[in-house]
Amino acid sequence: MAPLHVVGVRHHSPACARLVSETIAALRPAHVLIEGPADFNGRLDELALDHTLPIAIYSYLGEKEGSHRSWSPLCDYSPEWIALTEGRASGAAVKFIDLPAWHGAFAQIENRYSDAERRYTEATDRLCREFAVDNPDALWDHLVEVAESDGLAERLDHYFALVRGEAETTENDTEREDYMAQWIRAALAEDDGPVLVICGGFHAPALRRLAAAAGSAAWPEIPAAPEGADIGSFLVPYSFKRLDAFAGYQSGMPSPEYYQRLWDDGAERAAAALVELVAARLRRRKQVVSTADLIGAKSLTEGLARLRGHGRPGRTDVLDGLASALINDDLPQPLPWTRRGTLTRGTHPVVVEMTAALAGERTGRLHPDTPAPPLVASVQDILEQLDLDGENRLTLHLSDARDLERSRALHCLRLLDIPGFKRDSGPTAGSDVIAEEQWELRVDTNRLPAVIEAGVYGANLGDAAQTVLEQRVSDAGGDLNAQAGLLFSAALCGRARLTDRLAREIAFAIGECDDLAAVGRTLAVALALFRHDDLFGSAGSDLYATVIETCAEHALWLAESLRAGPGPAEPGRINALAALRDTLRFTPTLVPPREGIAATASRVAADPAAPPDLRGAAAGLAWTLGRPVAAIEAGPDRLGDWLAGLFVVAREEVLAEEGEASVVNAVDGVVGEMTATEFLEALPALRQAFGFFPPRERALLAEQLTALRETGTEGRDLVRRTEVDPVMVASAMELEARVDAVMEREHLGDKR
Amino acid sequence: MTEQPNDPKLQRPPAERRYADELAKLAADDTAPRPPGWALSLQAARTFIVGDAKLGIARKFVGDPSLIDRALVTLATNRGLMLVGEPGTAKSLLSELIAAAVSGDSTLTIQGGASTTEDQIAYSWNYSLLVSEGPTERALVPAPLLRGMAEGRVVRFEEITRCPLEVQDALLSPLSDRVLAVPELEGGDNMVFAIDGFNIIATANTRDRGVNEMSAALKRRFNFETVFPIADFKTELDLVETESAAALERSGVPVPPARDVLEVLVRVFRDLRSAEGADGKMQSVMSTAEAVSVAHAVGIKGWYLRGGEAAAGDIVDSLAGAAAKDSAEDLARLRRYLEQKAAKRSGPHWKDLYEARHLLPG
Repeated sequence: MAPLHVVGVRHHSPACARLVSETIAALRPAHVLIEGPADFNGRLDELALDHTLPIAIYSYLGEKEGSHRSWSPLCDYSPEWIALTEGRASGAAVKFIDLPAWHGAFAQIENRYSDAERRYTEATDRLCREFAVDNPDALWDHLVEVAESDGLAERLDHYFALVRGEAETTENDTEREDYMAQWIRAALAEDDGPVLVICGGFHAPALRRLAAAAGSAAWPEIPAAPEGADIGSFLVPYSFKRLDAFAGYQSGMPSPEYYQRLWDDGAERAAAALVELVAARLRRRKQVVSTADLIGAKSLTEGLARLRGHGRPGRTDVLDGLASALINDDLPQPLPWTRRGTLTRGTHPVVVEMTAALAGERTGRLHPDTPAPPLVASVQDILEQLDLDGENRLTLHLSDARDLERSRALHCLRLLDIPGFKRDSGPTAGSDVIAEEQWELRVDTNRLPAVIEAGVYGANLGDAAQTVLEQRVSDAGGDLNAQAGLLFSAALCGRARLTDRLAREIAFAIGECDDLAAVGRTLAVALALFRHDDLFGSAGSDLYATVIETCAEHALWLAESLRAGPGPAEPGRINALAALRDTLRFTPTLVPPREGIAATASRVAADPAAPPDLRGAAAGLAWTLGRPVAAIEAGPDRLGDWLAGLFVVAREEVLAEEGEASVVNAVDGVVGEMTATEFLEALPALRQAFGFFPPRERALLAEQLTALRETGTEGRDLVRRTEVDPVMVASAMELEARVDAVMEREHLGDKR
Repeated sequence: MTEQPNDPKLQRPPAERRYADELAKLAADDTAPRPPGWALSLQAARTFIVGDAKLGIARKFVGDPSLIDRALVTLATNRGLMLVGEPGTAKSLLSELIAAAVSGDSTLTIQGGASTTEDQIAYSWNYSLLVSEGPTERALVPAPLLRGMAEGRVVRFEEITRCPLEVQDALLSPLSDRVLAVPELEGGDNMVFAIDGFNIIATANTRDRGVNEMSAALKRRFNFETVFPIADFKTELDLVETESAAALERSGVPVPPARDVLEVLVRVFRDLRSAEGADGKMQSVMSTAEAVSVAHAVGIKGWYLRGGEAAAGDIVDSLAGAAAKDSAEDLARLRRYLEQKAAKRSGPHWKDLYEARHLLPG
């Protein structure tokens, strides 16, 4: 049996890459087996072309119920990349041995090489404590990247054995390891040459054990894709920005630019270059970075490296030194390299620049001979199938299945900025849904280059649109108007599904927004799409459910903290409460408990610091939840706005009420007691408030009032429009008032 | 919070006496080079603060170890150290520990306040001697800064931003030129030059006037370190548990509140501290220290009024008093939190908490 050599690595670690390189040179293996998608083995030649890294193997799985996308990113200092290139150069048989990305074992994983972060355990925490470092990344630098390379292999084995010993092993891990072990056994059985395995350190102990166990020694099959699914893998350019753990979700190691330089030039020069990069970046942003600061940073870095026992300054030594020397303020958020994960909102701008400098801006480029991305063929197919490839003017009826499909394809193309597809009219967010769209199609010479570029986003039109949608949502941040538009676009493209990434981004964006009207609008759009959009097929979508949930909660939060004096009623915030009412009525499972909402609404209604329209709306909301209106906001400058809010939210309750105790009767009483001046002051807002009801309902209210007063007048007469110019009525009233005043002065009549 | 020596109210000896054994042990085994004037090497000073179970040194500060690294290196490079952060993040404790480790003495402390004058920082005079002998060294009464410079020790300046700006600027020449002039003295004695080992640790609180008003000249002479609330839930929970148990024992309560009640308490504090958006965030201080005092109150109530069982509902009561001190808006935030967020959590203690929302005043 041939000798087996397993090198457990951390993905994207320069020290591990160096170890792999040295091992290949020393061992001269006959087989190099790498943790990577085995279905790509037939196309390793494509990988060997002269690409500019970082690039990634993009894999997709398209099924009826959704698609799964995954990337296996590779950069110059990836141990896997070194194993690939140097293994080939040394004449070894190089193979990927892991399950394909579309296999069920990768169901939740977007980045094959991000798994290091999922493996932290009590053991790593303990090590962090013992070595007095902040987190596992700093621990890794301390133990591996800046440590002496003597004994690195043993140190790594020890480290990974410890992690493996305590981490939870999932079924997915076991499945992948069993599969990888089959490849190893087959390689061991084939000839006598040494077999080198490069895999994530977490798997190394298990693979050693499994390879020695009994089992079939035949080369394993590539597992079949799920029935009816559309699968594939191809190369795409990748970027350092996506590799950076500070920026991305499920990304790999932090600070790729730093590690690139560490790989290229060694620790000392990487540290020096880093300081230069940060200083240049800050100066470009007009931040003062004096020579004295840089000298201070350098001596701090050296001191820190010495204190921490680093022979050469490491990443955190440099960052800590720079932070101490350059920041003369309190920090709003902790330094990101002391924690893990993405940058938090409010991070100090100098720190943001520092992490951006360390992340770098390199993007990969594929060699021109790389086959065109499948998106090109996919788009061509779709255009032909749906008859969209000529010059044309189209009218699409969305209720027609084929037209809906065409519309979705066109919207996806538009989202990808492919030229030549223009929509002249059609449904928009927030309006009543129109079921017809007008499109203008044009043949454009830039179409093919644009499609090739968009190939990065996905293998087929829908997936690519989904990726772009997620990016836009992320870029829109707290701008909820833009977000509402994007949510609607999702429906138009037929991609109203919740992905992990979207859920996080949307929840974050809503939390950021402090405009009640905008939150209300978003809530209304999402609720409409969630409830009855069979036209777009978005009814019941989990994406909109999440939006509704987050918006409802946040709207309540904002409503209670809103402070403003009297002023014209703002329909935006009133509608937000109306949207809340609808949410409670139609999707009660998605909102906080009814009782809590009623309590909040009553409090807002009773809060003298809240604006009257919001108080009225809140009183209405409480009313719809079974808490009748307690008191009427009587001030002439407030009554109208208050009613405007109340009527919109509690329209049905207002109309259904009868008798002495009704709100309308109470309002009538309040108005009756107003002086003429007060009445004139209150009139415009009152008029606007009652204007909300259509004429028939206004007549109904008038009917109630006349019935109570028993005046004998018909309610209808009260609301009938008179043909007289209101200006004339006003001047008549003024004249009458003057006559009254004169008569009173001269004691000529009864006081009115 | 002050850690003045012999303060009868606090009843606690300074760190160098509390941890005398550990300091002696570290000094005895310390082989690494010591910066001039330091009582310990950087490595030993760090071990003193972050602890080392193998050497029997207790962990005294639960924040990021890298913060300690940066702080110590800053002091060794002769720049002042400024610790900033929210109230209750253990800044003063940290400055005390660092001073004890670096100089073996944490008592050279200036307490900043609106009425702090230069007298209290640098030196003043014994007036009877001044009248009888004139300005002589015998008549000089050195304050912490002068002593620290002359003896080569670390001086702590607590709550520096609460001092008037011109008083703060008294630190400029001691920090940059490492010299303090005593113009009243005649001859060569009127310049006090700092000897090795002197440095300044200042603390400032982001809730008071903040560091923005400090003069740029002074800011430049300090390295800033922000101390944050404890990042890790479990660490904070453990700390609240041990600290509240100790406080309760002093109040005659032998059992700390049940851990699941404390879990709810710590979660509430963390949620309110980090609430999304500006209007969710409490104005009041939601520090770990505040959590300990609420846990203390809950424990006392449970023991004396409920026959031993602490109840999560009591958290609301204490929170209303202790945390949402006198801000109506904070009270509203707390209420919203209970109604909207707490209602969604599952478990009997969360339910208890939610039911107790009526206890909030107003």
